[in-house]
Amino acid sequence: MKRLIFALAIGAACAVAGASAPIAKIQALLAKPTVLCGRFDQTKHLAGMKKPLASNGRFCVVAGKGVLWRTLKPFPNTLRLTRDEIVSFQGERVAMRLEAKQEPTVRMINSVLFSLLSGDLGQLETLFEVDGGVEGSTWNVALKARQPALAKAIGAISLDGGAYVKNIQIVEASGDKTFIVFSEIKTGEGAITLEEAALL
Amino acid sequence: MNPEVKRHKWLAWLWALVVCALLGHNAYLWVVQRIVPDTDILALLPVQERDRVLQESFTHMVDAAQQRVIVLVGAAEWNDAKRAADAYNAVLATQPGVLEAVKLSDETQGDWLAPFQKHSVALLTAQQEAQLRSASPQFWTDAALAKLYSAFSGPKLGAFRDDPFGLFSGWVQERAQETPVRPRDDKLFVADGERQYVLMPLTMRAPAFSMTAQQTVVPLLERAKQAALKAAPQAKVITAGVVLHASAASSQAEGEMSTIGLGSLAGIVLLTWFTFRSLRPIALVLLSIGIGFLGSLSVCWLLFGRIHLLTLVFGASLIGVAQDYGIYFLCNRLSADPAEGSVRLLKRLLPGLCLTLLAAVIGYMGLGFTPFPGLRHMAVFSAVGLVFAWLTVVCWFPLLVSGGTLTTGALAHRYGATLAHWPQARLNARTLVIAALFVAVAGFGWSRLGVNDDIRSLQNPPKHLIDDQIKLSKLLDAPTPVQYFLVRGASAEIVLQREEELKRRLDPLIAAKRIGGYQAMSNWVPSVRTQLERRALIDSKLLAPGGPLDAVAKAIEEDSAWSAATRAHLMAPRAPLTPAEFLKTPPSEPWRHLWLGDIDGVHASIVALRGMSMAALPELRRAGEGMEGVQWVDKVAEISSVLGRYRQYMGWVVLGAYAVVFALLYPRYRGNAWRVLAPSAVASIATLAVLGLTGQALQLFHVLALMLLLGVVVDYGIFMQEHPGRRNTTPWLAVGLSAANTLLAFGLLGLSRTPALQAFGLTMLIGTTLAWLLVPYFANTKENEHA
Repeated sequence: MKRLIFALAIGAACAVAGASAPIAKIQALLAKPTVLCGRFDQTKHLAGMKKPLASNGRFCVVAGKGVLWRTLKPFPNTLRLTRDEIVSFQGERVAMRLEAKQEPTVRMINSVLFSLLSGDLGQLETLFEVDGGVEGSTWNVALKARQPALAKAIGAISLDGGAYVKNIQIVEASGDKTFIVFSEIKTGEGAITLEEAALL
Repeated sequence: MNPEVKRHKWLAWLWALVVCALLGHNAYLWVVQRIVPDTDILALLPVQERDRVLQESFTHMVDAAQQRVIVLVGAAEWNDAKRAADAYNAVLATQPGVLEAVKLSDETQGDWLAPFQKHSVALLTAQQEAQLRSASPQFWTDAALAKLYSAFSGPKLGAFRDDPFGLFSGWVQERAQETPVRPRDDKLFVADGERQYVLMPLTMRAPAFSMTAQQTVVPLLERAKQAALKAAPQAKVITAGVVLHASAASSQAEGEMSTIGLGSLAGIVLLTWFTFRSLRPIALVLLSIGIGFLGSLSVCWLLFGRIHLLTLVFGASLIGVAQDYGIYFLCNRLSADPAEGSVRLLKRLLPGLCLTLLAAVIGYMGLGFTPFPGLRHMAVFSAVGLVFAWLTVVCWFPLLVSGGTLTTGALAHRYGATLAHWPQARLNARTLVIAALFVAVAGFGWSRLGVNDDIRSLQNPPKHLIDDQIKLSKLLDAPTPVQYFLVRGASAEIVLQREEELKRRLDPLIAAKRIGGYQAMSNWVPSVRTQLERRALIDSKLLAPGGPLDAVAKAIEEDSAWSAATRAHLMAPRAPLTPAEFLKTPPSEPWRHLWLGDIDGVHASIVALRGMSMAALPELRRAGEGMEGVQWVDKVAEISSVLGRYRQYMGWVVLGAYAVVFALLYPRYRGNAWRVLAPSAVASIATLAVLGLTGQALQLFHVLALMLLLGVVVDYGIFMQEHPGRRNTTPWLAVGLSAANTLLAFGLLGLSRTPALQAFGLTMLIGTTLAWLLVPYFANTKENEHA
């Protein structure tokens, strides 16, 4: 997931006409709320390290606004992705800022992450080959980047879920693995806290 | 047949031989060699002795730019832009070898970074370096841990242990920001608020200023543009390149040349008809002009091996002067006793004719005193043309026009009659009042006269080209190729160190938003000294035992062996990164022009500036002052200052020419010599005053025109002085015909859209008109013969 940002800077969009059959089904299963917030638990297995690194926090996806990703434990860090920039805060300090003015790909990254978290597979198909299946009210998909450079940079992504995305798995070429589990999902106006609304 | 006529016949045959040789040579030039005039405006500029390094830097910056054509095809939607760009490229592909797309290296990101990855410890941004010196160890520990735990904290390159503190990725990000262009779908992408563009850098095979380039490249680009717009109607195509300017300038000059040439010819034909009521004088005058023109072409080509289009344009106006000799002879033939033989008549006219030729040639030769090759060509072209036209008149006219062949037209009669009522300069109260008034008005005009030596005022490219150029530089944030710092040193290392020193001085200007940034080799390859300093800095601040690295290891429950291994991995001894090594890698491709390498034992590089405003120029100049081996290069200012110097210099040449011509006239006219020069002198002063009153800025070309004005108007003075008194209206008729024709020729030059020619033409227009009116005012009325 970390690699996504840089990798997308060299990404490729191949327009694909129409979505394939399983994707249309999955799209039908997914809810499309304007506001979607919840908790995430992330585990990273880094090459050359004994222990996995666990962290958790809250995330919010607001249609038309962007994505807020707040790591709360063990090290607070907030990431905000909007149309014009990607900013990472460490406490009050801006640790990193990518502006769309300078990095035109910021908009693309933002749209991909938004699609990923809200499960907008139609949008993802422009960058990835989407291979998926449906069982009852659950689904799973594997994403394979259409461009070798992108594949090399971010590896393989798989998603599964029901009405919302439940799990994301990323396996990188370097051997690093990241697992993200979403829970306590809330939608609608009441889902986002005042503090979060102020941040986004 | 009397011996005089016989001798003259020999002369005529001899001249016929010369003319035949001329015709042969011209036929060979145009038909066999297929010569084409130059259109490179730079060929008109001074060639200076400069040092090789500076010359080389200019070649690096400008020549590369000259062969480039940059095309942007944009649309609101990326897919539309791509479709339009593909249509564009399809048209270019129909003529292979004309324009080549600059190859994109399809390097994947990983490979792109490989050359830097192993030197990552030595690559820091200025901001990071400052942070390393000032921030607490805790800050770095937190930064590394946040990076470890957060989902996405910006670009991550390689594994965690390759860049635990995110320093290298910060450096890469800064490098990426040196250009807004990004690869996307195997194309180059750049965007603004409205559109997304496909960027297509193209290289031309043929030199930008060659006619071939202009005749093939420009139409091809136009066809491609139409195809792109057809594929995506909302698309916008922006094209920029020197070739477009060159082609616009040459087509403009071509059009103007034919207009001016034809216009003055038409004027001459009409005037001659109304004066002589015969076609023969027209044919004769055209003959002398034609031979003059062909002669100039031949001689110029033999001397210089090239001819500039502007020389031809200027040459077209030569028609206005070359006619004087023929007209003078014909007017005198008209009024002379038909019984007098033409050869004898010529003999009588010869002193005056010789003087007019000499004065005009001196006038034109003043142009030859400039360092501009183009102007020197014009001087030679004009002088030779005059000599050839003059010789044609002297050798052939007496044999072709015998007494009684010409009759006076009504126009000549009516015009001649005006002379009797013309006011005269006499030393009386009225004259003094007029003189005082004139001095006051002229003084006021002169006081308002500004100067403008800006080279940019010499050219006047079409607005759409300028607009495209501006839009393109905004989008690409590209540095200007004509203003930059040149850095030299005894070795590559010294050059890099000096660059770094210079960049430290430029940083405040970036902070103050005076410039957008700089491009330099040291952005990519720091000096060895800096690389070693940074390695030591990172080692002591981050990796040393008990430092942030150990704290990170503890937080993620790794042992000291892990941090020792990580430290060893990062600090593995390496030879420093060198420019030579960097230049071999694909990422260096856009920056290769910045490194001049070794020139005669001197190493040199260019520091180019992005987002520069004209207002920042003085500050930039100051930024490099007093630094050893650093030189601010401003081609525009340099050429403009040369133009300024020559404007002043030519001013003295004009005054000198007056003195020379006066010396030339004095033996023959004695106390009346001043009468010959007064009209052009007064007209020149008045012309400058008019320019001042109308708010024009004086430039070199106004002064050059004043020089020419002297050459032209002296003829009139001489004609009048050769036949003093007011009974004989012949010289007045010759003056009127010449002046009217000159006005037609140069007046049309004043219509030129090329500012330099326009300034020239306008000055001639005002000056000639005034001089024409002043000639009889100053002419001598006493009918005494010359010594």
